[in-house]
Amino acid sequence: MSMIETHDVTKSYRSGEGVMEILHGVSLSIPAGQCAFIVGPSGSGKSTLLHLIGAMDQPTKGRVVIDGQDLTKMTEPQKDLFRRDKIGIIFQAFNLVGNLTALENVLVPFLPRGITPELRDRAKAMLTKVGLGHRLTHRPIQMSGGEQQRVAIARALVKNPQVVLADEPTGQLDTRTGEDVFRILRELQRELGTTLVVVTHDRRFIQPQDLVLEIEDGLLKK
Amino acid sequence: MWRFAWRNILTRPTRTFLALIGLSIPILGVVGLFSLSNGLRMLVGNTLNQIQGVIVLRNNAPSPVFSDIPADLPDKIRSIPGVKIVSPEIWGISPPIENTSLIARTLNNLGDQQKRMQSFLDTPVVTGQDTITHAKITTSVYRKALLPAAENGGRYLNETDRGSKNVVLSKKFANQFKNSDNSPKKPGDKVKIGNEQFNVIGIYHTNSMLLDGVIVMDIETARRVLNRPNGLSDVYVEMNDPVKSDEVAQLIEKSFPDFDARSMNEFQNSFGNLMGQLDRVLGLTVSLALAVGVVGIVNTMLMSTLERIAEFGILRTNGWSQNHVLGLVTLESAYMGLIAGVMGCGLALVGVNIANQFLSGGLQLVVTPYLLFLGMILSVVTGTLGGLYPAWKAARLAPMEAIRFGHR
Ligand SMILES: Nc1ncnc2c1ncn2[C@@H]1O[C@H](COP(=O)(O)OP(=O)(O)OP(=O)(O)O)[C@@H](O)[C@H]1O
Ligand SMILES: [Mg+2]
Repeated sequence: MSMIETHDVTKSYRSGEGVMEILHGVSLSIPAGQCAFIVGPSGSGKSTLLHLIGAMDQPTKGRVVIDGQDLTKMTEPQKDLFRRDKIGIIFQAFNLVGNLTALENVLVPFLPRGITPELRDRAKAMLTKVGLGHRLTHRPIQMSGGEQQRVAIARALVKNPQVVLADEPTGQLDTRTGEDVFRILRELQRELGTTLVVVTHDRRFIQPQDLVLEIEDGLLKK
Repeated sequence: MWRFAWRNILTRPTRTFLALIGLSIPILGVVGLFSLSNGLRMLVGNTLNQIQGVIVLRNNAPSPVFSDIPADLPDKIRSIPGVKIVSPEIWGISPPIENTSLIARTLNNLGDQQKRMQSFLDTPVVTGQDTITHAKITTSVYRKALLPAAENGGRYLNETDRGSKNVVLSKKFANQFKNSDNSPKKPGDKVKIGNEQFNVIGIYHTNSMLLDGVIVMDIETARRVLNRPNGLSDVYVEMNDPVKSDEVAQLIEKSFPDFDARSMNEFQNSFGNLMGQLDRVLGLTVSLALAVGVVGIVNTMLMSTLERIAEFGILRTNGWSQNHVLGLVTLESAYMGLIAGVMGCGLALVGVNIANQFLSGGLQLVVTPYLLFLGMILSVVTGTLGGLYPAWKAARLAPMEAIRFGHR
């Protein structure tokens, strides 16, 4: 059963002179529990596609269906709930809230509803899993880029989402740290059975069993 | 969430502080101005409560000092049913006391803001009472205010004082115009009014700035002192039944259309009107000040919201709804309003206490709990309102727009 489906998705941006189409009808399907990579040259529309899958942006045409739910038919509050419960997201950088500690950053998804001791324990356990059990009370500025990225991974996974989306999660890290971060991400994905979609330039991380989606000029290459 | 909002305020101390000042000063103003208005109200209320009869004076005369009535009016009023006692009075600005003229006093006090204010309010006034009829009045303000024997209050004017050079001074004047040995005036001492020496026979203290500026003497004596051989200023009328004083006052006005019979209720009402207008002016001033405060808060919140747009985007991508972001920003500004309210009210309390040390004559700034409560509410409401627009701006963006916008 496929967790993620897009049907003939197009996305255009209104720019100064007129309308610029970035995605020209992308249809794809990613099975549940799969690790999928979106690769392609810069500016080809990889991030744009990822944002559409994550309900963070609205496609111009086409449908995005996650776990049987059509995102394009959701209201904004429904999408908020959807993001909260089903999607974990990791960006290239600037992932964390500066005013919160590592632990609080992991707890961000639950903040508006109130933090229970169980949630707190879960967040601590998650931070321990990414190797930051000793840095719970540190602020983002007190952490290195790799550490920050691991906090972001913990936050994306703490709610046990069905889908984790990562947009160049290792883009700003050196090779070694990048490998560490990716190893952690993949371990957790396996452990939790999450569907993982990674946008990357770096093909080193791709393993034989992974699904690779190549995008060029807004089209999926077969 | 509460702590998060709290921390967000604290991490920008300078900006927060400036915004707080911007809002707390208007709140200080609100509390301060209305405490003054409260104080005036109490002062006049105290003053008027001491007078129970009806005062008949010329239409439109603001006070007895500016009134002029014919000499035969008292007898005519006496014939009106319900009237018990009619006591004519004359009032006028006092000639120089102890050679201190009004002008000299004013010049003397020019440099001192507070004294200047006072010299305007307590320009010495002479009142001449018809001692014979006045003695029968039950609610004579100055007689009642005479200091007790233990404080050497002396005695009040009576029937024997007709045409005598006996005067009753306020405690304030007794202290202000001292004897040559620098002791305050007491019964038995002399006081120079104009070119004549007078005998101080009594000292009174009403504790109302508006009443304590008066030298009381016999009406015949006052005619000489004020150089006013004929005519009267007003008539003090007491009724058989105090409850019916309003009715009788109306009867007097009907019978003598040129004159105004003012019961204290009426004085109080017209004062109430005046204060109502004053309050309206204050309200206007205050709203202006608050508008300035709101602009400050909006500006602060807007700046801090704009620079945090990306952060809001991150919150949104992690499952925060628009309402959550809206709530966070609003909570922050409500906190600011709360702190500003505490600051403003605290400053006002301190300021009022200090001001009261320097105020005398029964005028005190009065801060009621209600006023403080009002100040707090006002502050929190304006603070919250000031945060709403920035909050709406922050929440409105789609998560990705916010993140992109924020990192530009
Ligand atoms: N909000 C926007 N408004 C206008 N154009 C945009 C917007 N967002 C993206 N684009 C354009 O869409 C194109 C694709 O952007 P996208 O970020 O998806 O590329 P990408 O494949 O992720 O590239 P990179 O590998 O460099 O991150 C780019 O040409 C970009 O300029
Ligand atoms: Mg990209």
